[in-house]
Amino acid sequence: MDVLPIIVAAIPVTLGVTAASFAIGAVLGLALVAGRRSRWTVVRGLSRSVVEVLRGIPPIVLLFIIFFGIGSGALRMEPFQAAVIGLGLVSAAHLSEVYRGSLLAVPKGQFEAADALGLSRSTTSARVIAPQAFRVAMPGMVTWAISLLKDSALVSTIGVAEIMSVTNQHARSSGDGLMPFILAAAVYIAIGTPLAIWSRWLEKRFARIRKAA
Amino acid sequence: MNQAESILSLRDVEKTFAGHCAVDGVSLDVARGEVVAVIGPSGSGKSTMLRCINLLEVPDRGTITVDGTDLDTSGTVSARDLTQLRRRVGMVFQSFNLFPHMTVLRNISLPQERVLGRSRDEADRRSMELLERVGLQQKADAYPAKCSGGQQQRVAIARALALDPEIMLFDEPTSALDPELGLEVLAVMRQLADTGMTMIVVTHEIHFAATVADRLIVMADGRILEQGPPQQVLDDPQHARTRTFLSAIKDR
Ligand SMILES: Nc1ncnc2c1ncn2[C@@H]1O[C@H](COP(=O)(O)OP(=O)(O)OP(=O)(O)O)[C@@H](O)[C@H]1O
Ligand SMILES: [Mg+2]
Repeated sequence: MDVLPIIVAAIPVTLGVTAASFAIGAVLGLALVAGRRSRWTVVRGLSRSVVEVLRGIPPIVLLFIIFFGIGSGALRMEPFQAAVIGLGLVSAAHLSEVYRGSLLAVPKGQFEAADALGLSRSTTSARVIAPQAFRVAMPGMVTWAISLLKDSALVSTIGVAEIMSVTNQHARSSGDGLMPFILAAAVYIAIGTPLAIWSRWLEKRFARIRKAA
Repeated sequence: MNQAESILSLRDVEKTFAGHCAVDGVSLDVARGEVVAVIGPSGSGKSTMLRCINLLEVPDRGTITVDGTDLDTSGTVSARDLTQLRRRVGMVFQSFNLFPHMTVLRNISLPQERVLGRSRDEADRRSMELLERVGLQQKADAYPAKCSGGQQQRVAIARALALDPEIMLFDEPTSALDPELGLEVLAVMRQLADTGMTMIVVTHEIHFAATVADRLIVMADGRILEQGPPQQVLDDPQHARTRTFLSAIKDR
């Protein structure tokens, strides 16, 4: 059981990788979805290709490309940086799809009413459409955060000292192959469950709002 | 009617969707303060014509003149012209389209702040004035979902009026409402007509058209089939198609 404090001590690293990648993804995802709704065909095509490429590569391959490929060449990168960039890009692609779906859920009449009132494009996006789309996107965003929390274990492969990495090290040196991993699993569940409950609550609340509207 | 007194003119406006001509060369002059009712069978292009006026649909051809300012729609319309046009033309939709995440008051005040640059206080004061006019000041802090359809439509009318438009367009404003709720909306519109607002109203409410409108337009196949004083068109339609259409809606 002496592995538990080691695992607990690594929780901030796991949370850090998850939160930082999520933040990068949330912002870049906005840019991608804006690109996909651009009035220029080239921008639309480009954004779409970026999303498809990012979604087509297994995250671990992308991590290796960034850390061992780019990171060992011109751009020196710490494992943590590479991890956050890699998972951030994957998140951007995924979250842009979540955003896109949520925008499709905003009725056409909302865009038309804003147009007819003479609201500018930016006011329409920021004050009319985004708040409505965000409510729809929330459950999907939280679900992605849960996946990301679990997928962050991948970054142990490039040497980030998060939960999976320290657990694996301890297991090797102590020779106990089962208990450390079971404890690690329990810790992931303990962090992820509140998120999952929150996501379900949001989804229910959203369904209620939709019924009321 | 001479050009000088007309506040809105359409000249040969045409709009085609995927090869189908929804509005087929419509010309129309509307005088300041005139109330025009538009009727016609489903698919005859009533909505499309209305939406061409504030460029929710950009016509393929034709000129739109609002209060002396010409817009040739066959070229590209600049953002500035578009803003100018939409400031002067308000629109009310069949489905209300209130912003569900804002209170009634915010729905009416936000566009004033953003489009006219009014301060929040100024905007709220104007909003309350209009809410009173449509009989809903008690709903100011409610969300749209907590209002009946008729109340939502009256708020939508107040929202459009808050921008001080010169012309108001209504696309079947009561079609989504139970008859008694429709009546409260029609009462507000009647009042608005009495204040001298220029209005174009697409509607199936023949009684409203007969009693409030100055002119009744019958559309078919993207064209104006006939028009005239409502009583005259209703009592003595010139076209067989008008007669068929009128008897169909009177039977409902
Ligand atoms: N966005 C669009 N894309 C394709 N076709 C359209 C579009 N809008 C309208 N149309 C077509 O244009 C024609 C005219 O439609 P419009 O909605 O103007 O008729 P309407 O007189 O308002 O009918 P209704 O009484 O049913 O509202 C119809 O044939 C319709 O299918
Ligand atoms: Mg219509």
